[in-house]
Amino acid sequence: MDKNSAPPSTIGGGRRGLQHVVKPKDMKGTLRRLWELTEGKRKGLGWILLLSAFTSASAIVSPLLIGKAVNHIDAGNPAAFLILLLASLYICDWLVRFLQQFFMASIGQRMILHIRKTLFAKMKSLPLAFYDKRQHGELMSRLTNDVDNISTTISDSLSQLMTYGFIIVGIFFIMLYLNVYLTGIALLAVVLIALLTRTVTKHTRRLYARQQAVLGRLNGQVEESISGLSMVKAFGREQEMIRQFEESNEAYCQVATKALIWSGFLMPVMNVINNLIYVLIAIASGIMAAKGMIEIGMISSFLLYSRQFGRPFVEIANIYNTFQTAVAGAERIFEILDEEPEPEDIPGAIDLDNPQGEVEFRHISFGYLPGKPILKDVSLSIPAGTRVAVVGPTGAGKTTLINLLTRFYDVEEGAIWLDGHDLREYRMEDLRKTFGVVLQDPSLFGTTVKDNISYGKENVPFEKIREAAVTAGADIFIRRLPQGYDTVLAQGGTALSQGERQLLTIARAVLADAPIMILDEATSSVDTVTEQRIRRAMLEITRGRTSFLIAHRLSTIRDSDIIIVIKDGCIAEKGTHDQLIALDGEYASMYRTQMGMN
Amino acid sequence: MKLIINAIRKHLGMFLTAIFFLSIETMADLLQPTFMSYIVDNGVKEQDIGKIIQYGAIMLGIAAAGALGAVMRNIFASYTSQRIGKEMRADIYKKVQTLSFENIDRLQASSIITRITSDVTQIQNFINGTMRIMMKAPITCIGAVALIILQTPQQLPMMVLIIGIATLLIGANMKLGYPRFGRQQRKLDKLNEVSREFLSSIRVVKAFGAEQQEEEKFGEAAAEFSSAGVSATRVAAVFSPLINLTVNMGIVVLLWISGTGEAGKIGRTMASVNYMTQVLFSLGMVSNILNAFVRAVASAQRVEEILQEEPVQKDGANQGGPELLCPRGSVEFRNVTFYYAGTGRPSVQALSFSVQPGETIGIIGPTGSGKTTLVSLIPRFYDATEGQVLVDGTDVTQWSMDRLRENIAVVPQKALLFSGTIEENLRWGKPDASGEEIVHASKIACADEFVEGFAEKYETSLGQGGVNLSGGQKQRLSIARALLKNPRILILDDCTSALDASTEASVLAGLREQAEGMTVFLISQRISTVMKADRILCMEDGQVRGLGTHRELLDGCPAYRAIYESQIGGKIYG
Repeated sequence: MDKNSAPPSTIGGGRRGLQHVVKPKDMKGTLRRLWELTEGKRKGLGWILLLSAFTSASAIVSPLLIGKAVNHIDAGNPAAFLILLLASLYICDWLVRFLQQFFMASIGQRMILHIRKTLFAKMKSLPLAFYDKRQHGELMSRLTNDVDNISTTISDSLSQLMTYGFIIVGIFFIMLYLNVYLTGIALLAVVLIALLTRTVTKHTRRLYARQQAVLGRLNGQVEESISGLSMVKAFGREQEMIRQFEESNEAYCQVATKALIWSGFLMPVMNVINNLIYVLIAIASGIMAAKGMIEIGMISSFLLYSRQFGRPFVEIANIYNTFQTAVAGAERIFEILDEEPEPEDIPGAIDLDNPQGEVEFRHISFGYLPGKPILKDVSLSIPAGTRVAVVGPTGAGKTTLINLLTRFYDVEEGAIWLDGHDLREYRMEDLRKTFGVVLQDPSLFGTTVKDNISYGKENVPFEKIREAAVTAGADIFIRRLPQGYDTVLAQGGTALSQGERQLLTIARAVLADAPIMILDEATSSVDTVTEQRIRRAMLEITRGRTSFLIAHRLSTIRDSDIIIVIKDGCIAEKGTHDQLIALDGEYASMYRTQMGMN
Repeated sequence: MKLIINAIRKHLGMFLTAIFFLSIETMADLLQPTFMSYIVDNGVKEQDIGKIIQYGAIMLGIAAAGALGAVMRNIFASYTSQRIGKEMRADIYKKVQTLSFENIDRLQASSIITRITSDVTQIQNFINGTMRIMMKAPITCIGAVALIILQTPQQLPMMVLIIGIATLLIGANMKLGYPRFGRQQRKLDKLNEVSREFLSSIRVVKAFGAEQQEEEKFGEAAAEFSSAGVSATRVAAVFSPLINLTVNMGIVVLLWISGTGEAGKIGRTMASVNYMTQVLFSLGMVSNILNAFVRAVASAQRVEEILQEEPVQKDGANQGGPELLCPRGSVEFRNVTFYYAGTGRPSVQALSFSVQPGETIGIIGPTGSGKTTLVSLIPRFYDATEGQVLVDGTDVTQWSMDRLRENIAVVPQKALLFSGTIEENLRWGKPDASGEEIVHASKIACADEFVEGFAEKYETSLGQGGVNLSGGQKQRLSIARALLKNPRILILDDCTSALDASTEASVLAGLREQAEGMTVFLISQRISTVMKADRILCMEDGQVRGLGTHRELLDGCPAYRAIYESQIGGKIYG
């Protein structure tokens, strides 16, 4: 019976069945690590495996009992004892199956949960460089699909392998004991099935790899064109997009059909082999029984055995494939677990109890890619409480400066000093708390406005949240929202305008009340009236604190104590607004252009 | 469900052919035990080896026919299901291309994407399954039951009982399992949402040291998903062994009845036992089939939702609108008010003004004052809730949508580029643009300089969404793309925000030259950007506060003056 020709899901889902098999790189090593990883969460797994062994008992013994019963019935003898034995065997089988499946559910899930949490705990400690290099979709599929795949391996495959292993060995010996010749015929099935599986998997493996590649293209195309639909429509490119889509769609359909046909052959042909063996056994045992060489019940037993003997081999081949895919998934998870986390605090790291905000950049150099330095030998000393403005052309390294200051990335050469110590000497946790940051791209969460503002803190009284919003100039629009501060933001905060989103993130920074404030182009899409408000707020909250403001609009930074002009990774000019205007260099020229006075 | 039926109906020929071959295959499986019983009863019992070989040969023939059926149904089923999947994907995709933004906003882009990818696959797998095990299992079950009754008529009451109990168990399984699987799915969505949010906000998480908080959020979502999983699997853990037991007890009863009944036809009893094991296997499939069915129906619903979506906007071309071949580019707003669907307050309110062909209109105003909304009414990204927007004196809803958009170019706040080369992206504006035209447009947009810096220049491949470019570079390419289109109406929606001041100035100067005769809407936050426009529209709270030249507004519009003073101040540097 082709139990496993239940539909395999090919796109994304990665369930089970004979489908796309990704070979693991180091099966043994990965399994050992997996075993270690689930330490302490495997309670009861041994019992489950033991129960699995018992579920094979009914498959092994019942055909024998049925055969014997048939003999008795045929001879007209009472078979009550045998039949009762059979009934109790079935009841035991039921009980064992129930217990096994029932407890397997929770053991499997307990392990998944553990792996998932471990993975997430690791991910949260990874440096930004890790995230900047990777696609979110891919990381998400590790958190969901890959972890789930592992669970199917551990909970299902393992116990099934156990069961089928016992069935094969058990049935083989019983058949051998009953009749050598008929056993030979049953073994023929095994040989045929092995040959068949080899041929089919050889083809499917290649086809599935191709299918996966074409699918990637198709999915990418769909994702891009639908999330960028506004441009598609604005440029009237609908037809062209449809044409491109149909091209990839057709290509995918063709290779997927081939892959499906090949993999689909396995089950029916297997069934045919089973039928063939069934016929051969029927003929052979028939002749032998007619000649009185065997009892008639033997025919019955062997026919039932022949049905059950072939199946486990198929299943094992299947399970092994699932197993491989899952182990490959596990490898992808270990890849993350092996990533270098953010550097640990050095031994004896200093507590940053009462940061003053005196910052010094000492000959720092840095680049995201080797050989492409963004900042070159930058030195700068900022006394505590200074309002610093950083300006310069796009790509000059303004944001990078901030990335280094907050230790999102670590400097390659030189060092950044805060209050008389290298940043790396502080505890990371303390250091991050020292900064109140408003980033270029306002990230909001799908919770209430209130929770978004108090993000990163717990149990903040509502009054403080409102105060922060008022300071940031966000209170006005928040109160106009349907549920005010309790309004739940849509995914990514799309219901708000870009400027409103930025006001919220500013309120968040205000509430954080950190000794050093960093505003990275935060005002670039806030209108100037609102910006005035923010500027006032910033003046208020930067009073007595060190602050870094990166802005395109020079009008916003005139209040700064010092303006740094960064160009080509170096500090080109520095001084107050008036000094730089008097200098009549880069800054003065930028200023004139912006004021429309060229 | 209708969706699935319709899809099958469209390929009914192929589908029925697959089912036909499937029936041959199933029949072959079913006939084997019957002939086996003939071997036993007529051959073994009569000690007639000729009969045994004769029936054996027939069985081989049947097995061969079964093999043929199996091979053919595999080919037909694979082919048909993949075609159906392909067509369904294309249907959704095409449908989405016709939808209005209001529809898309409601459905959400990410959700549409999963419907095209995973939901269609789910349906496709289901349809494929119906041509395989899903049809085979019921046919086998019914056939086996029928043959048992035929072979051993005294088993009829027992069979009725077994089937009755099994049906009850399956029904209960379904009733309990269905809501639990639904819950598990919802918890999975939640888990995905939490991870997505964490990943896209990673900078904020780190900056605010909220790792712990995120971990708790994730842990909670993961735990809920796990416990939903446990309760869903436990339903199956209760019922599937029970179904097993029922059928196994059938075998016991069958043997019992045979033992007490008349002897002599032992082959029939053996065949019936064989059939019982076939019934057992096919009932074992039932829960799998039901699961697949439930999932497919849920997916079909989600797909249907899109297919049934009607574009909110109607194309004027179908209403006998004008076919203006050479639009001039005048724009007029007549008392226009617009609400985004589901919002209580109007985004723009009672807008009335007109713009001459060739005029450059600067638009300035606070965040959320309705600037972007205003311009998105011109190319009909949205339609006015009240009032009219007219282009060349004709209501935009009367225009052919294609003609209208052909003559308008939009450069959005957030530059959207697509995978492909830079040149391919620019050609969106004009598919048959010459090399010179492309370079020319790029030069005006100040994109040429950095493009030339790339090793492959205009042939440089961009990743999905142009990921390998900086924000400013994307904006410049997006401007060049719009310029290539050489539209009558050009809408620049604060699209120079990531450019530094001097680059912006040179882009705008180039634009001014190129845009001669073009009607330009120039949205900006910076007063220096809009100052040189012919007229400036000053917006606040979705309303027009003033419309006039820089001078006029300075004198007559307090809102404008406030912005001006905030940016440039009373003093003029000089």
